[in-house]
Amino acid sequence: MGTLDYIWMGILSVFQGPELFSILGLPVSVTLVMIFAGFLIGIAVGATPGLAGPIAMAIALPILISVFGYTPDALLPVLGFLIGVMKGATIGGAVPAILFNTPGTPDAFMTTLDGYPMTQRGKAKKALRVAHFSSASGDTFSDIVLFVCAPFLALLVEAYLDLPEKTALLILSLSFIATVIGGSPAKGLISTGLGLLAVFIGTGEDFYPRLSMDSQTLSRGFPISTAILGVLIIGAVLKELQDLWFQKRTSGTVPRQRDEGDQRLHWADIRRLLPFIGRSAVIGTVIGALPGIGSTLAATLGYTVGRSRYAKLKRPDAPDFGKGAAEGIAATEAANSSVSGANLIPVLSLGIPGNAAAVFLILAAESIGGFNPGPSVFRFTADEVNPELVVAFGLFTAMMIANLLNWTIGGVFMRSMGVMVRIPKHILLPSVLLLTLTAIYVQETRMEAIWFTLGFGVLGYLMRTLNISPLPFVIAFILGSKLEDSARQAFAATGGDPWFLFTHPIAAAFMAASVGIILYSARRKTPTL
Amino acid sequence: MKHLIKSGIAALGVALMATGALASDWTPPGPIKLMIAFRAGGGADTQARLIAEELENRMGWKFIPEQVTGKGGLNMANALKSQPNDGTAIGLAVTETFGYNMAAANAGMSPEDFTGLTTTAGFQMGVVAPASKGWNSFDDMIAAAKSGQSIRFGVMSPKLADLAYLLGKSQGVEFNIVSVKGGKAVLNGVNAGDIDIGFMAGIQAKGVAAGDLVNLASGLSTPLIQTPDAPTLADLGVNFNANGYFVFVGPAGMPAEARDALSKAISDVVSDENTKAGGLIKRAFGGAATISGEALSKLMASEFASSGTLMEAASE
Repeated sequence: MGTLDYIWMGILSVFQGPELFSILGLPVSVTLVMIFAGFLIGIAVGATPGLAGPIAMAIALPILISVFGYTPDALLPVLGFLIGVMKGATIGGAVPAILFNTPGTPDAFMTTLDGYPMTQRGKAKKALRVAHFSSASGDTFSDIVLFVCAPFLALLVEAYLDLPEKTALLILSLSFIATVIGGSPAKGLISTGLGLLAVFIGTGEDFYPRLSMDSQTLSRGFPISTAILGVLIIGAVLKELQDLWFQKRTSGTVPRQRDEGDQRLHWADIRRLLPFIGRSAVIGTVIGALPGIGSTLAATLGYTVGRSRYAKLKRPDAPDFGKGAAEGIAATEAANSSVSGANLIPVLSLGIPGNAAAVFLILAAESIGGFNPGPSVFRFTADEVNPELVVAFGLFTAMMIANLLNWTIGGVFMRSMGVMVRIPKHILLPSVLLLTLTAIYVQETRMEAIWFTLGFGVLGYLMRTLNISPLPFVIAFILGSKLEDSARQAFAATGGDPWFLFTHPIAAAFMAASVGIILYSARRKTPTL
Repeated sequence: MKHLIKSGIAALGVALMATGALASDWTPPGPIKLMIAFRAGGGADTQARLIAEELENRMGWKFIPEQVTGKGGLNMANALKSQPNDGTAIGLAVTETFGYNMAAANAGMSPEDFTGLTTTAGFQMGVVAPASKGWNSFDDMIAAAKSGQSIRFGVMSPKLADLAYLLGKSQGVEFNIVSVKGGKAVLNGVNAGDIDIGFMAGIQAKGVAAGDLVNLASGLSTPLIQTPDAPTLADLGVNFNANGYFVFVGPAGMPAEARDALSKAISDVVSDENTKAGGLIKRAFGGAATISGEALSKLMASEFASSGTLMEAASE
């Protein structure tokens, strides 16, 4: 079993998976259909203000698991669907941003700056084409970086990091995430701390149910899906409902702009846009590879860098950034789309999720079982097949298929999604609430799970009200048990050395970095990230 | 009057037939909740799901598998205890859950709170090292330890940690005992080089056959099927063993016909090597081991009662 054999098996696992139906005698695997469905749903969801990729992933996951079951065969169809949603939502977010000046996803905010002015000038179709081309290019670039880097990084980690170093690396990632998400290190640490506290309830190695206060309900701990869906989805829904309550719903009709003139994207346009796309794609990929820094920052950076370059080079009669420059859309969309692939580098090579979409991919893998994202995935065993590695290459294949869909039909489908902005939030939000709770019950089949979810939802709402990002909470919840396990194991493996984090040079360096990054960002007066 | 007697006899006949049918042809009054005490995707979880799948095909029963993991199976036991005992709720754990773990937790549960249905397979518990270490026997490993090499010993339960400790004690070495979650994690740890040796209950079979792993010793009272020459724990001076089984249980007081029907159906599936579940058990554990009825109740009770001695020995 060489590397090429594994790659080939991964590709085959997507195409030859369980057959759903056949066209002209050619069997169509269920995985392909799921990627396709996920991609289309993703575009629609991304184009709907108030919905975003993670919400669709959260609701779909329990339903998919109850359809496909917990067998290894379920992994690729379910993960393929989620990847499709993730990619679709990325390009879908630009649609309402360009057409109605309303970003469909938070990271599409910068797209409104140049997209809407173009629409007002009657160039809506062209703006959408620019957004699609840049988004698809950035995404594809980032995926290729992922395919090359993730296995390499994983092998490096396995070769050089022992248990104490792995523990220190987890601590470093948590402190990095706490510092960079949300802008305030103190708030980030609160969020991380709460996440760790929640995951430590009822878990642990001892037979005694830790922190359960003698309650039978708490003694099994919080199921991971209740914490994640509660804080991320229910919390967001409650906050949006509150906003809706305060601001009377604007019921005026959206003004329609007429398209005028040439709407096509010419080769000359593409040549003009490519330098902006390239620069933004690199920025987005680098940012995406660091856990915790989201696509919103990538979009902002890509836009800023693009603007300063554009100011030097532009023709005098061309519109400025912010006044309807196609380059502005390209710089933004390429940057925020190239985050999604690179974001999976820490997930697949270290098991550390960096954003909400990655959180749901890990949740899916964990719920189904048989695939544990982390360095052990990339073990190229020679004499027997490592099934996790096949799944990893299957995932890469799924991403490539989603890219292919993006290049071929993505643009057409995306341009037809303008209607999604008309979905009224007062119907959308309660539906999301109901679907999420149903989805939780389907997966956990006990009433406590619903109470837990609602409890976490209130927590997520409060955090949002106090401007504390809920993402560090969720990531800490996922990494908490991993951190505890590896710390216990490192302690035992070093023969009970309580200073194991500081006596090994690499571990000590990681620890110094985790303290350093908090001190550094706490000292700065104006947090910029 | 004659009419009355006639219909009385008829009614009696119908009633008798109905009872007869009930005993031989029990069907669950609803879908069966199957609580699995193991992590999703591991070997034991796969076993449980394959058995359920085959029973659905054979018997037409409907199963709802559910993961209730944690605390060495005690979370599952605790949840199962209060479920209805009409056969609509069963669980898969290991005998260790109802023995050592239940005794150690001292949480007011005992095997009497459960109805044992059947075991499916006995552990092929070996002390396993990767071949790359160059140890061909248990003695090679001990020699390495005595020459100053620190040995990390991976275990997946507190009972096994006790046994690893006693094994080191009897050999005059001190292992660094690392506990991880599940046999798959021991295997991964050994493969990744995080752990030097570890207890594995059957998951090592493929690797041993391929020559990547070596069974250094048997953790059982008997030699391993795959490596009969490896010494047992008793040979190495430890008077305890890691004998154990995967076991299906229900809540206490399950009616006899439900209990018998369930245990017979499950043992039939696992004993049939042509089923997916039976094939899996054959590959990993060398074949099914089905203990049910009175014998199983006795086994569970005696493991519970005797586990105190092991704890005492290990805390000396």
